[in-house]
Amino acid sequence: MKSPGSITAGDHLLDLKWNPEGTRLLVTPATGPVLVTDEAAALLEELPGHGMGNGSSAWFAGEPVTCGYDGKIHFGSREWKPGRGMIEHVRTSPDGSLLAAGQGKTLHIFDAAGSDEQSLRDLPTVVSDFAWNPKSPAEIATAGAGGAVLWRLGEKEPFARFDWGGASLQVRWSNDGRWLATADQTPSVHVYDIPKDTPLKMEGFESKVRALAFSTDGKRLATAGSPVVTVWPCASSKGPDGARPIQVDGSESEVQALDFSPVTGQLATGDGKGTLLVVTFEKGQFRRKRVRLDSGISTLAWHPSKPLMAVGHESGSVILLSLEA
Amino acid sequence: MSRIPVTILTGFLGAGKTTLLNRILGEKHGLRIAVIENEFGEIGIDHELVINAEEELFEMNNGCICCTVRGDLIRILGNLMKRRDKFDHILIETTGLADPGPVVQTFFVDEELREQTVVNGVVTVVDAHHFSRHVGETHEAEEQVAFADVIILNKCDLATPGELEATELRIRAINALAVIHHTTRAEIDIKKVLEVGGFNLDRATEINPHFLDAHGHHHHHHSDISSVGIEAEGECDGKKLNDWISKLVRDQGQDIFRMKGIFAVKGQADRVVFQGVHMLIDAASGGPWAGRPRKNSLVFIGRKLDREALTSGFRSCLS
Repeated sequence: MKSPGSITAGDHLLDLKWNPEGTRLLVTPATGPVLVTDEAAALLEELPGHGMGNGSSAWFAGEPVTCGYDGKIHFGSREWKPGRGMIEHVRTSPDGSLLAAGQGKTLHIFDAAGSDEQSLRDLPTVVSDFAWNPKSPAEIATAGAGGAVLWRLGEKEPFARFDWGGASLQVRWSNDGRWLATADQTPSVHVYDIPKDTPLKMEGFESKVRALAFSTDGKRLATAGSPVVTVWPCASSKGPDGARPIQVDGSESEVQALDFSPVTGQLATGDGKGTLLVVTFEKGQFRRKRVRLDSGISTLAWHPSKPLMAVGHESGSVILLSLEA
Repeated sequence: MSRIPVTILTGFLGAGKTTLLNRILGEKHGLRIAVIENEFGEIGIDHELVINAEEELFEMNNGCICCTVRGDLIRILGNLMKRRDKFDHILIETTGLADPGPVVQTFFVDEELREQTVVNGVVTVVDAHHFSRHVGETHEAEEQVAFADVIILNKCDLATPGELEATELRIRAINALAVIHHTTRAEIDIKKVLEVGGFNLDRATEINPHFLDAHGHHHHHHSDISSVGIEAEGECDGKKLNDWISKLVRDQGQDIFRMKGIFAVKGQADRVVFQGVHMLIDAASGGPWAGRPRKNSLVFIGRKLDREALTSGFRSCLS
């Protein structure tokens, strides 16, 4: 693999986001300035950080959006402070028209002009994470105590509930719109077949599941929770139910980051000791390429249109790796 | 890797928590202290060291143990531990109406937090003038006292000597173990707030169950929350002790707020120290006896405690 560039931020890397065109990369460390780089990781701009801690970042209406423990959202040159509490995530709707931000028991929904009339307020629990339905820009799932809840913007009551009784740390919606998956505080993953209203539970992880990702076509779900990544088949009518998952070994410590390439369908995984795996799936089998990098891998992001990935480290460094021959 | 100490600050509405927090943040003590403030906190997140978080309670069911924990704390502390410039201390403020149990339990159940942080203790600020009224109005005021390692009896200047004595007796009847400091406008040496060591088994102090006899027995006490102290000569049978405590927390864990014990266990040269919060328990070596008499001391703080049953249950563990 070739490295077309690298950059170092001031702290542990929390999040990496390519813009939809793949011309800019947003580099978010745990604290301090958020960096905007070009496609070769050259610094273009430093954005102000968010005091005690940054949250995840996003691209919205062509501009970078950041958030954090100071309760603020920076959107281009604008600053929004919608409430008192910390903001851990901002996420853009699949059509790019709306921005969601969780703050306590409110899920703010902003348009580019800053109007938040469609926000979901006074929710029963604090929103720990949320995910837009890639098939419908008007639907969003919130995770928190009790499980996940699915909402349609403009409606006061949820259109579906995925209550399994525990606490979900992350929620992801598959690109085909069929599956909702949660990574939980207990060592488990819950998967919800939305059209069939059927819940599934996966257990046996060594620890709480810190990362999970759907493949771009929605046919695979990769879960961390140990040094072995489990890839669940989601294509059949029953999905992972009763199916034998693929177990991808080769990592040296717990896997902390997962991402599927939208271009090649390959899965990249990163562990706490710096082991990067690039996994290629072929007819129920897999082969993996293993690269040992300098420090623990905390986040990964594939380029939207090239076989190129950004690898973020606990040390604060970001390295770009190209799979092109 | 050294673990970051965490202090949990609790107290009823208006008791003086914010005054104390401002004092801690404003004094030149040379420590970098991160404060996680509740959603009604008054310091404000514009302060560079303050995070404002809405309490996110959830039930965690792990086999036979079921408890309520704070999800927001797990995520915030997890992120604070990732920072390159670590803090010297973390202070968590609960709301005036919060039960401190879920905050404490969070540190027992989350593996990552157990590895990277250590709960130093629970500090409860009590309004010396209004405590009797607060206790009559809600159960939270009593529970906050029951959980405390340190009680800051604040606004002493507003209470008469008689009120002060009555309040202290009432506090002692609920919690026989906590150290009580009298303050006005929360003026106190910060070390007495931060260097508590209440949950640190490595630094377990002597437990004196007789303290109860001196302070609590003859006081008319309206509450069903109390302390029970047990002391016994001899050695425990380790298996019997383990079985008894396991059954006790399984059957009565919801009513037991805090447990602390130092045991002489047959076959073990060192002291065995023990801590518990509701259904969660933790035990470790407490180091050598170093000339002190090998005896067992155990204190429970909780609701509807049956002194006779607890005493006979413990005595059945003696070998």
